[in-house]
Amino acid sequence: MNSRIPLYALHERIWHWLQAAGMLCLILTGMSIHYPDRFGIFGSMANAVRWHSWIGFVLILNAFLGIFYHVTAEKYHHFLPRLDDFTGAAIRQARFYLYGIFKGEKHPFDTYPRRKLNPLQKITYILLLNILLPFQIVSGVLMWGADRWPGIFARVGGLWVLAPAHTLGSYLFLAFLIGHIYLSTTGPTPFSLLGAMITGYHVEEEKAQ
Amino acid sequence: MDRDVDTFHVSVLKRSRMIFALAGIALLCATAIEQNSIPATNGSDAGNAKALKLAHPPVVLKDEAGQSVLVTGKPISTRQTCGGDCHDYEYITNSFHFQQGKTEMDRALLSSHGAPSFNNSPGMFGKFSIIPNRQLTAADINDPSDADMSQPEWLTKCGGCHTGGGISEYDLRGHRFLSPDAKPSGPLDPSYTVRDRDTGQVIPWDWQKSGIAEADCFLCHVPKASRGERKKEMAAGDFRWANNATLVDTGIVVRQENGTFRYNRAAFNADGTVKMEGLDISDPTLENCAQCHGFTARNTTTIQPIQHADIMRGTEKSGWIYNGAKISDTVSPNMVGKEKMDFPWDAHAAAGLICIDCHFSVNNPGRMIQEDPKKNLRYKPAEEDLAVYLRRPDHNFARGDIPPETVNLTKRDTMRACGDCHEAEKGHAFLPYKSTHLRSLACQTCHIPAVHFWAYRSDDWGFVMDTGGSRITMRGIEGSIVDPESEIRGYLPAYIPTLDKNNNQQIRPTNLITGVYWFDRSKGRPVFTWQVQNAFYAGKAIEGEFPYRPEILRAFADKDGIIDLPQAVYDTPEKIALVKGLLQKYSGVTDPELRIEVVPWAMTHGIVGKKEAVRDCAACHGKNSMLARPMDLNSSLPAGVPVIYRGKKLNVVNFRTKEPSFDNRVLLHSFYIAGYSRTAWVEWFGWLCVVAAILFSLLHGAIRLLGGRL
Repeated sequence: MNSRIPLYALHERIWHWLQAAGMLCLILTGMSIHYPDRFGIFGSMANAVRWHSWIGFVLILNAFLGIFYHVTAEKYHHFLPRLDDFTGAAIRQARFYLYGIFKGEKHPFDTYPRRKLNPLQKITYILLLNILLPFQIVSGVLMWGADRWPGIFARVGGLWVLAPAHTLGSYLFLAFLIGHIYLSTTGPTPFSLLGAMITGYHVEEEKAQ
Repeated sequence: MDRDVDTFHVSVLKRSRMIFALAGIALLCATAIEQNSIPATNGSDAGNAKALKLAHPPVVLKDEAGQSVLVTGKPISTRQTCGGDCHDYEYITNSFHFQQGKTEMDRALLSSHGAPSFNNSPGMFGKFSIIPNRQLTAADINDPSDADMSQPEWLTKCGGCHTGGGISEYDLRGHRFLSPDAKPSGPLDPSYTVRDRDTGQVIPWDWQKSGIAEADCFLCHVPKASRGERKKEMAAGDFRWANNATLVDTGIVVRQENGTFRYNRAAFNADGTVKMEGLDISDPTLENCAQCHGFTARNTTTIQPIQHADIMRGTEKSGWIYNGAKISDTVSPNMVGKEKMDFPWDAHAAAGLICIDCHFSVNNPGRMIQEDPKKNLRYKPAEEDLAVYLRRPDHNFARGDIPPETVNLTKRDTMRACGDCHEAEKGHAFLPYKSTHLRSLACQTCHIPAVHFWAYRSDDWGFVMDTGGSRITMRGIEGSIVDPESEIRGYLPAYIPTLDKNNNQQIRPTNLITGVYWFDRSKGRPVFTWQVQNAFYAGKAIEGEFPYRPEILRAFADKDGIIDLPQAVYDTPEKIALVKGLLQKYSGVTDPELRIEVVPWAMTHGIVGKKEAVRDCAACHGKNSMLARPMDLNSSLPAGVPVIYRGKKLNVVNFRTKEPSFDNRVLLHSFYIAGYSRTAWVEWFGWLCVVAAILFSLLHGAIRLLGGRL
């Protein structure tokens, strides 16, 4: 018999899917800006720029709401790695992905409401949410503000610095997104993790007695 | 006594100011009444309204002594006729239109503005130009080999357009010709000599015989002025009668069969003043300006940019046609694809603007702009008195500062910018980052997306043809420019960054004219055409054809012993070395160096409206950005020689393309064009991460699938 563990609250799921949709849109509009003559799905580069800016601000708002929720609901601890998460636990998780999963081994870390993320996820998210996301927000907002604050824009090096930096961050986000989507299939069934993020419940098979 | 004289002068001055003021007020009232009576409903009507002009008071045409020419039969003196009590002749002619750089022949001034050391002035009177590879001789030469184009020769060659006064009245040391002080400083003084075509020797010029060409006010202020007739007189060295020749088409002056001039008494009133229906003095019309500056018409379907055996300069250099008619309506010449060009040659011309609407006299109280940009004023209506303006209209006409920068060093950027008439911020709602775009791009970049006419492409003086001249190629046309059946296809501009008024780098469209010429490194100046000819030719022309030296024929000719166009190229270093040796041997050039010079000619006319302007972001931001579009230069450019760009050595030629082309990547280096610009390592590393993520997912998933672990 399977057990259903409540894992993701409604707030978290909305936050996650907004973030996912926003990132996807940012990548598409970003591609349209970066390759305007080969990826013109938004009609024109000008449209892509406008959409990119609006969606970017929606994502920034979502990020702040996410912070607010995780702080006020005291759920930020999910993202805080312990020392062991950088060493032995991380190695165990990596070994599972690179070897154990092919042998049908069980996940090295059980998922339950107090521990939603495995060590590698914690490390990834701590880098993503504390370095890459703020980096993208700051570089993006500075570029958006090129006409509004030309002095600051020029002082940080203008487009020659900001555009490649923002582009690099975007590639890293895209790479993360691909890996994230794939790894979401590594649950008990290919869609169980995805299902959990939709329904909020993690379904786990009962251990044989 | 002095006080009496001063009092008298003040009194006269006051009286004349009062007369001018009253006349001005009366004329303005008359204009206002006339303009109110005319409905201006469209561009054409607006143009007609503009054609109304102030009536100039009757004038007596006077000779040099101030006598009526009708009485004496002598040449018209504009100094006496227009100057004297009415207009300040000295003030007017001390402007760039008359001096062409003569008043700025100051080495320190030129150096401080980055002018090459061999240029004697910033203007055509002293500046080396790859067209026609000649230059006014410097005033202080001691060596005959330093003599190229003397002042009299310059006037015979260029004086058809350059309107006398200043350059044709005063020598290079500032003495008025034929005055007691006007004496040559030596046997090579370029103001008093000319190089004899037959002997090659520098010989004296007879100023008594040629006379002086005073400022030709008529060329610009008389609608029926004839530049062609003026050019004939100047070319013949008959400077004295040049201004008379300008009036031949007015009926006031008649050219007689023997070439001399007489006055047509019927064109004069009984009181000796000239009838105004003939002289018709007015603000310069489109056609007046067009005579010299480029093909310009209010609305015509026939384009004739070659007049009096000259290609009009603006058309020649960048292909502009300032015409209000639609291109699709063009009857002649043969415009390919005109059916699709249902828009005017120039939107401003179609709207009825004439040249002086933008290139106005800068102290015209009706048009002037605030000179000090630091002050918070664009217009100061009380700055200049109308009477003062009528007496002393500044003929340093409002203008910009764009390549090739043949302008005053001290008086430029005086005209209104596009944004002073147009509210660009309002008209570009579709454009994101408006400030950045409007700061980084000249308006012309989007509003002159293509040039629909031909223009100069190259002028190669490195190898002189047997005609004695250079090899010239044009762009935008298939066939000869004098053949109306030749197919005109136009061309796409090249883009370069230039500094705007506020010292911002701004990308603007240009035509590129590529010159090839020899440079004398020992003298620090270009090798003169006559020196190149000495190196190439064994003797004088026979029936218009110069005989090449045997060395030249051996190296360049084909089997039939003739040098055709395909052979007249420097395709090996040995050929360059050969001509270098000949220049040393026969022309006394110690250290000749073959050079390429790429000269940009900015485009300002041929403006299209918003429908035809560039609106597709990908045009600039795409992989094949038009901003970095290569422009073919000259298929026979020699490789491995220095390239000069805007006075400095800078390699802007790409020899790896099918034909040598303009490579502006180094120039646009300071611009990051989103969508076009790339940082290589970012792209490589970024895509590596993405591909790695995809490959990991595919490989990992495949192993799970094959192992039944999905």
